[in-house]
Amino acid sequence: MASVQERVIAVTARVLGLDPAKIKPEHAFTVDLGAESVQSVELVAMFEEEFGIEMDEDEALSVQTVGEAAEYIAKVCREQGVEA
Amino acid sequence: MRLILVDLPGPKRYHFYPLALCRPIWELRCGMTSLGEKLIDKFAPADVACFVPPYMADAYREETGRVVNDPAVLAGDDLLILDARVKPDGLDVEPVGPSMAVFDGDGQCLLARIRQSDVGRLDTRSIDALVESARTTLPAGDIAVTTWEYTWELILANPDQLVRDFAAFGRRGIEGKVEQPVAIRGDHRDVYIAPGVEIHPMVVIDAAEGPVYIDEGAEVQPFTRIEGPCYIGKKTILFGTKCREGNSIGPVCRVGGEVEESIIHGYSNKYHDGFLGHAYVGQWVNLGALTTNSDLKNDYSSVEVILDGRKPIDTGSTKVGSLIGDHTKTSIGTLLNTGAYVGSMALIAATGKPLPKFIPSFAWFLEGVVTKGFGKRKLYQTAATAMGRRKMPWTPAQEAMWDAIFELTAPERNEAIKKGRRALAAQRAAM
Repeated sequence: MASVQERVIAVTARVLGLDPAKIKPEHAFTVDLGAESVQSVELVAMFEEEFGIEMDEDEALSVQTVGEAAEYIAKVCREQGVEA
Repeated sequence: MRLILVDLPGPKRYHFYPLALCRPIWELRCGMTSLGEKLIDKFAPADVACFVPPYMADAYREETGRVVNDPAVLAGDDLLILDARVKPDGLDVEPVGPSMAVFDGDGQCLLARIRQSDVGRLDTRSIDALVESARTTLPAGDIAVTTWEYTWELILANPDQLVRDFAAFGRRGIEGKVEQPVAIRGDHRDVYIAPGVEIHPMVVIDAAEGPVYIDEGAEVQPFTRIEGPCYIGKKTILFGTKCREGNSIGPVCRVGGEVEESIIHGYSNKYHDGFLGHAYVGQWVNLGALTTNSDLKNDYSSVEVILDGRKPIDTGSTKVGSLIGDHTKTSIGTLLNTGAYVGSMALIAATGKPLPKFIPSFAWFLEGVVTKGFGKRKLYQTAATAMGRRKMPWTPAQEAMWDAIFELTAPERNEAIKKGRRALAAQRAAM
């Protein structure tokens, strides 16, 4: 089964129309990957759908990088008893 | 006699959402005044007290200075207790007389008249306790009490109510400034232009089919046509507006484009072109350029409205536009379906297609679906900014009320967000 980070990269690639191989954990969604504000909202929605979790929008939107997103999502999965 | 207006949580309260989410039902308008003002005018009480859903009590008290949710008002005077939905027209009851009570089919108290001498027999520890003891202690009143059942009834009644209110106000003539050429069509006695109003040249006021009342400080810019019956509220500005019959607009609204048989509460803007018909719009709403609502279905069948996110309600009318809650903002080019419900504190970014018929409160409608967007904090910031532009404060009491509304409306919003996520995922998978 893919890791949380691999799944985060796959969702990011799908939403932003990027090659997953070129997305690195240190990449910032806006500065490095070019996510616009509406796409940030869509990313949050797609992460929730992918992992079956509910994220606080303020916390989720404060996450800057792909690696931070994976860490945050793993934490939310633990808190909500979802197997990631 | 003390008039006590009551609007407590009950099975029909949501019939007046989204407008009644942040105000008592008696603050809704029909004609030139609110439902509450009409009840107060009818009974001319010595004083007025109110009972509202607890979550809005502090904000309402702060806004109006009224006595709100204070059980102390339930003693010390003759009482006339009225449910917010009661229609004053045709209500044949003396405000003071033998004690009695009238309940509706759902067991909700519509009216109770209680002599001061009888108050001691009743439980006055709370309004709920008083109503319960009135139910078991007082005789049933043998009078007909009719009620407003849904918001769209106010829209549909607005033209006739405007005519009656104009007659009741009894003001006629021009006290404001009118720059010629301005054309007044119909009987000039059916027009009132209040002090401080500025009517620019090239304005048409058509009172042939009903009266036109333009209240203090309003400004009517060139190429506006106002058809009566119509009420333009204080300090409202019309920008070359095609203001069709049956509108109640303002105070402090900025309205352009075409508006027909609609009620727009204060501080809301529809600055640009676009059609708004048979709509009810709350306070602090901004409708972006070309925002347009349908108010008539292509097959002329009666319009259905979804008030709870689930079950459509047949309005019985072929003409119903949109219900738009307070602080909601629409983007340019927003297309609202016939009988659309747009909750309060919603943000709509149009996609070019007509919106779903139900948009929950606090929804961020982006990419064609309801999302969590940037959350309620960002919406509060926008609300505070909009109010600050009109020198009005966003207060802790208001924020607490809106926090409660956020929780109250969470079930339908969360359902819509989940549906939106699934739709987005399906869209992405298909790309």
